[in-house]
Amino acid sequence: MNQSRMISLLFLLIFALAACTPSAPATPSAAAMPITGATAEVVPSATVKLSAPASIEAASNPAATSAAQAPVRGKLVIYSGRSEPLLRPVIDAFKAQNPKVEILLKAGSNSEVANALIEEKANPQADLFITTEMFTVQSLAQQDIFQPYRPAGADLLPAEFIGPNNSWVGLTRRARVIIYNTDRVAKADLPKSIFDLTDPKWKGKIAAAGSTNGSMQAQIAAMRQLLGAKETEKWLVGLLDNKVTFFGGHTDVRKAVGTGEFALGLVNHYYYHLQLAEGSKVGVIYPDQGEGQVGLITNATGAAVVKGAPNAAAARAFIDFLISPEGQKLFAGQNYEYPLLPGVTLRAGVQPLDAFRLVKVDVVKAAQETDATFDLIEKVGLP
Amino acid sequence: MLKRGKTLMLPAWLSRYIDVRHAVRRRTSLAFPLSLAGLAGLVALFVAIPVVYIFVRAAGADLDDWQRLLQARIWKLLGNTLLLVAAVTGGTLLIGVSMAWLTERTDLPGRKILRWMFAMPLAIPAYIGGIVHLALLRPRGGLLPQMLENLFGQPVLTPSPLGFFGAAFILTLFTFPYVYLLSGAAFRSQHASLEESARMLGYNAWQAVFFVTLPALRPGLLAGALLVALDILGEYGTVALLRYETFSSAIFVQLSGRYDRSAAAVLSGVLVTLAMIILWTELRVQGQARFTQMDSSWRPAPLAALGRWRYLMLIVALGVVFTSLLVPVGVLLAWSVQSFLDPQTLQEVFRTGSRGFGSFAWNSLWTSTLAALVAVTLSLPVALFSVRHSGWISRFIARFCQVGYAIPGVVIALSLVLLVNRAVPILYATPFVVVIAYVLRHMPQAVRASEAALNQLSPALEEAARISGLTAFQAFRHVTLPLILPGLLAGGALVFLTSLKELPATLLLRPAGFDTLAVRVWVWAADGFYVQAAPAALFLVLASALPLFFLLRREQIFK
Repeated sequence: MNQSRMISLLFLLIFALAACTPSAPATPSAAAMPITGATAEVVPSATVKLSAPASIEAASNPAATSAAQAPVRGKLVIYSGRSEPLLRPVIDAFKAQNPKVEILLKAGSNSEVANALIEEKANPQADLFITTEMFTVQSLAQQDIFQPYRPAGADLLPAEFIGPNNSWVGLTRRARVIIYNTDRVAKADLPKSIFDLTDPKWKGKIAAAGSTNGSMQAQIAAMRQLLGAKETEKWLVGLLDNKVTFFGGHTDVRKAVGTGEFALGLVNHYYYHLQLAEGSKVGVIYPDQGEGQVGLITNATGAAVVKGAPNAAAARAFIDFLISPEGQKLFAGQNYEYPLLPGVTLRAGVQPLDAFRLVKVDVVKAAQETDATFDLIEKVGLP
Repeated sequence: MLKRGKTLMLPAWLSRYIDVRHAVRRRTSLAFPLSLAGLAGLVALFVAIPVVYIFVRAAGADLDDWQRLLQARIWKLLGNTLLLVAAVTGGTLLIGVSMAWLTERTDLPGRKILRWMFAMPLAIPAYIGGIVHLALLRPRGGLLPQMLENLFGQPVLTPSPLGFFGAAFILTLFTFPYVYLLSGAAFRSQHASLEESARMLGYNAWQAVFFVTLPALRPGLLAGALLVALDILGEYGTVALLRYETFSSAIFVQLSGRYDRSAAAVLSGVLVTLAMIILWTELRVQGQARFTQMDSSWRPAPLAALGRWRYLMLIVALGVVFTSLLVPVGVLLAWSVQSFLDPQTLQEVFRTGSRGFGSFAWNSLWTSTLAALVAVTLSLPVALFSVRHSGWISRFIARFCQVGYAIPGVVIALSLVLLVNRAVPILYATPFVVVIAYVLRHMPQAVRASEAALNQLSPALEEAARISGLTAFQAFRHVTLPLILPGLLAGGALVFLTSLKELPATLLLRPAGFDTLAVRVWVWAADGFYVQAAPAALFLVLASALPLFFLLRREQIFK
């Protein structure tokens, strides 16, 4: 028979497989590293916002006084570093209030989406950017990707969660914690610090998110700022030496710890609650609270209106909704996150942040040092 | 029209004895070489753009980028990738050839059905197979380990689908059909006298197989192996899922890392170079494969009697079918039923609007169909030029159009993102960019199919039409086209089938809110929502199985 024809057929078919090779999976990057508090550099710029010329566009736009406006319409294009399931509740609720708006979501890892925004600077496609941590959004703001917007509700939020010149708005907070499987770890053996993760007794028993994950990138950036590049590098190399398994996202981490495949996992706090809700035997550690330890690393999700957005009005209305009591309740209730709006109650079981000593990181500085952070990640060869 | 085509077409075996190229060379002056050459050249140019652009970007990258990349893990990743390529290629050869020998050369019971069973895994994207096997076998968390734990009251060590061995295992399972089909056809086409002579000269049956039959298949097998190698080189999803790092993941890390795409371009340039070396080897081998055909006294080789091995071999064959076809399809079916039974999941899966099942399915179907139409249309001038006006230029153009094989989806996507946004911003962030990516990536399939169709059609027919007074275009339109239509349809079916499953380029290029079935499956599965992902995955597999069925029916061994 026709062998050469069969060769052609196969060649052709090869794509059946080749096509199945996702090269760029939309990483479920739901988390971010927590940074607490912006330092002095941030706060002043945040306070300047109202008078800053940068807010002309916001000022000229009546959307600035959100809640009572007419329902928005048209297409709202959201680029998100947060994975779809974590945004679904707020999107559905917003859609219910504004039935005439069609919400189109493109979710990927933070920097994947950020790269798209930079690429599209001259030809903007997105209206709104949502991120899992503040460094990416600040870094983009420094590249002039956003238009300033100060929602009416912004005054109620802690000032350190408003970007310089109102370039972005914080949404929710999360803490970097250690999740553990209660079947595999005895209470007495629990690690107390993220530095315990480099202890050889945990060799091969730890899961974490890899270098493509925004929350992990942000944790490294924060540690770099706190402890210096050398110490951070030592910690990363320690993790690698300890045969930590790095996943693309935290959902994999929590599930693997939930089933006992790993004893410990480095995640954002709400992944512990999501896993617990699935009935797994897991516990949580808020690390580094002891004397002389660095403190709990936190970060915040953020949102910003893209410069030249085709439907900026809808983007503004959506931000208004996200920081409204209703939006904040959804984040807190459905996702177990820490709302930024004071007075919104935490979901039962979530430990209040007041109870912990938090790390302080300068967002603006961290964003400026993005390249150095990536250099470090590449140098140690974090997967 | 199709019927008439069938009677006029030269039988495949006969076309080999007529030197079509030679016959054609004399007629060069007859047709429309200049405009045809121009058209073919334009198509090649179109195909060339992304590759050239990637190389330009790579060359233009900072020295720093190059240094950083050379110092970093690249060498390790390259080693990892080549190791996986070698392992999977070896595994597919082992399984593919032995299964082909069983179904084509032995009296294995049920071999007619088994042929189909061995080919059908091609309808299952490797990453979907990987998802299923991972859910079943994941250490401690998988269904099988949990079942064993419940049964014995303590954890039982089970083989893990993760890491190097897992990735090699899964990829072998879902790639071996290429080698199977290729070697199946080759076994069938081998002359009976080959083994007979070997036996007469004193070899026993096994020696004849190992020292005569298999070596004679070498060119075909090598071509198949290189196809698999090309495929694995660009593989990302399955290895990402199974946590084995390869070269492609370095590109992805660069894309999701710093805000600088030069580094990704550098890596892509290196990967494409590597792939081109393999592609070039394949093209050479494929050329040689032609000379291994049988002579005119061909008769099929007799079937070997397996004797008491019969049922053992059947069990082995069924084991392969079980893991590569029945398990994935069965699990997807079970999950789909589960999702239909749970009202909340059902509502989630079948929501209306831009995130509804209907919209994913429709997006998948129309983009793949359009890509198939465009690719086949564009392949026509190239194929006509290379088949009817064979020469180094036309052959170069046809070969060049094969370059899509060597460009992994992520690289095409990267190139198009950079290029379209600068050159044709109006096309950017529309589904048409996705279609362009499909066309570029799958052009080789269309070109090869069109060439094959034209090769089976004697130029004498066109000649007669021209002599009767038709213009070259009329002759093509009224004589050639109707006759090669079935072949073109096959090419279209292939492009459709493979576009349907395309994932990486779709993920990167799709406009916001534009999801295809493949994207949906990946997004859901990446977050661990297997039950939700199952109906889309199942639909994808079924939609791929149809064109695959049509394509296989055209082949001798499936008639």
